[in-house]
Amino acid sequence: MDLRHTFRRDRNLTRWLFVLPAMLVVISLLIYPVFSTVANSFTNRTLIRPAYKFTGLTNYINILKDVEFHNAFFNTIVWTFFSLLGQVVIGFIGALCLNKVRGKIPRTIYRICMIIPWAFPSIAIALVWKWLLNGIYGFIPSMLSQLNLSEGMVQFLSTPHLVLPTLVFVNIWFGSPLIMVNTYAALQTIPQDQYEAAQIDGANAWQSFRAITIPHIKVVIGLLVVLRTIWVFNSFDIIYMMTAGGPASVSTTMSIYIYKLGWTSRMTGKASAAAVILLIFLLVLCAVYFLLLRRWEKEDL
Amino acid sequence: MKKSLSFLLVLVMLLGITAMVPAEQKELEGEITFWHSFTQGARMEAIQEAANKFMELNPKVTIKMETYSWGDFNTKWNAGLMTGDLPDISTAQGTGEVVEMVNAGVISPVPDLIDEIGRDRFSERALSDMTRDGNNYGVPYYSHAQVMWYRQDLLEANNLEVPTTWKEFYDAAIALTKDGVYGAAVSLSPNDLLGTRYLNFYVQSGGGSLLNDDLSPNLTSELAIEGIKFWLDVYKNCSPAETINYTVLDHATLYYQGLTAFDFNSGFMVSGVQNNRPDLVQYVKCALLPTMNEGDPAYGAETSHIPLVLWNNAKAPEAAKAFLAFLYQEDNYVRFLDAVPVGMLPALKDITTNEKFLANPTVEQFKEEIAIISEAISLGSAIGFEHGPSVQASYLTSQGIVEEMFQDIITNGTEVEVAAQRAQDKLTEIFDTMIN
Repeated sequence: MDLRHTFRRDRNLTRWLFVLPAMLVVISLLIYPVFSTVANSFTNRTLIRPAYKFTGLTNYINILKDVEFHNAFFNTIVWTFFSLLGQVVIGFIGALCLNKVRGKIPRTIYRICMIIPWAFPSIAIALVWKWLLNGIYGFIPSMLSQLNLSEGMVQFLSTPHLVLPTLVFVNIWFGSPLIMVNTYAALQTIPQDQYEAAQIDGANAWQSFRAITIPHIKVVIGLLVVLRTIWVFNSFDIIYMMTAGGPASVSTTMSIYIYKLGWTSRMTGKASAAAVILLIFLLVLCAVYFLLLRRWEKEDL
Repeated sequence: MKKSLSFLLVLVMLLGITAMVPAEQKELEGEITFWHSFTQGARMEAIQEAANKFMELNPKVTIKMETYSWGDFNTKWNAGLMTGDLPDISTAQGTGEVVEMVNAGVISPVPDLIDEIGRDRFSERALSDMTRDGNNYGVPYYSHAQVMWYRQDLLEANNLEVPTTWKEFYDAAIALTKDGVYGAAVSLSPNDLLGTRYLNFYVQSGGGSLLNDDLSPNLTSELAIEGIKFWLDVYKNCSPAETINYTVLDHATLYYQGLTAFDFNSGFMVSGVQNNRPDLVQYVKCALLPTMNEGDPAYGAETSHIPLVLWNNAKAPEAAKAFLAFLYQEDNYVRFLDAVPVGMLPALKDITTNEKFLANPTVEQFKEEIAIISEAISLGSAIGFEHGPSVQASYLTSQGIVEEMFQDIITNGTEVEVAAQRAQDKLTEIFDTMIN
């Protein structure tokens, strides 16, 4: 009896020993940063002064009262929604086209061409687009002007109502290939006999698409939307490199707002509070997404 | 008794002889991590050459160089405060950053190093800008000052004189805004300090300051409001709209490429034009900053002394100091200044007349400009340092608040007085949080 008990205890300990490295990695890379951010958010900690004190909810109250926070939050919603919408639509259409391309070589060429934007580092892409859109000597404004499609050089990156749509366009161009490749992979898994059966039953192309294609790929697209929502919501590099959130904060998103609070103003406590608010919002959003996905999966069963 | 006295005498003599024999110089050793912002080829090569020579002379010393752009440097060391990843020695962006470093308690005083190089060889003003509570915290490495740059050929082609007042400057800039050339660019990215710099020029020329005597920000004085309106007019009528989001490098490139007729910058303009449009170099000239009224005395609105600092973190401070002193040895120092002639002017007074320094063909070609910049150097200090070195002066330029104010007025049509008041309140909040 005792021997069996000891053996069971040893086996339990050994199990924990195997899990320990992974747990340490998770604690040091995930749990510690999150907890330290939450802890900092309740203090007046700054980047350059070692002394700090507990300030309760002051940072949260100040953040929620800050007009710039509201502006950044609104910009982030616009940026995320339209970027995602564009990426999903373009990526989906690209995948459908790719699925129709016959022949190994043309399909490979098409796939390579479509994946190019995703293959480049986002910093390089931001710099290239910044150069192409430059309002003094940029290729695109010059071309539009020479073709008499615009009066003078269009100021894509300094005209307030053009800045965010321009950035969204660049982000769509950059992110669509990921959606395309994954959707294409999902399309490949749809059994062809289902389409043949539908054809025999007299279904037209739209009916086949709605009744066969969509149900097969909606979970994949749903998961991609969840992932891309988090990435796009937090994305920093393209906006920072192209406009740094300006002019006059018209393209400031939450990640730029938090960066400026933390690194320019060096208010670690306040920046942490803004990051926690962002985290809570994303957790709620993801919970809604996952509930929807679960419902879809149940419907499929 | 005699014997004892003789013995004592001999002993004293022996000890005296021992003392006269020089102690064997202790060999330097250790690893020195040197953070600097000399990212351009020629400067990086010059500093690396000096480091290699030093390591050859001191085989037990290793110098590890890490380069960070001027923009990233501040972020890098601020992050290092949390992680402990800090250098042994480094450059600083200017005297303002030295005060920030002193405020954060991360750098050590170096009066002994200054004495070793020769205290009298530095300008008093440069040293005092790096002095807090009587301690020298930085060694000036090179100096430059803001002056007005213009294109001689464009002025001549339009029968214009070199402007001496702000009004003349504005009229000339308007007249030269044509044929694909802009009179002057006004760049306002909050990631840089150009908006603050330009506003400071105007306010200084009227005898004012962007800081009050108690070091609180002052953006709402009559002079400051007038200055904001002046630069808004220049932006609207003489500058490309795109520059609303331009940083220093984007901005200067416009002049380098012949796209702007006037610009305000240091002697770095010369190498910029040499590299981009060598055909225009002969027309590149400079003058002291315009004054408010004709006949007003000359002033220097912004002088920069780029310092070298020793960090508390230094594991081998003796070797680090020896290397810093080595950089000021004539050959090494002139070699470094030669990397960007006219851009980097000597912080050591005697080097200004040094034959090797003067032998550089660019220095020879631009000796008039060097004289003008040197005059501006002697007249000015860093932005906000007219009240002495302070952290507030540093935050005035590093937070992008003035630039955001300009952007707000241009983009959202906010009234100048309202935007100025908001910016002043924001700076006050930052000063209170970070300093008080």
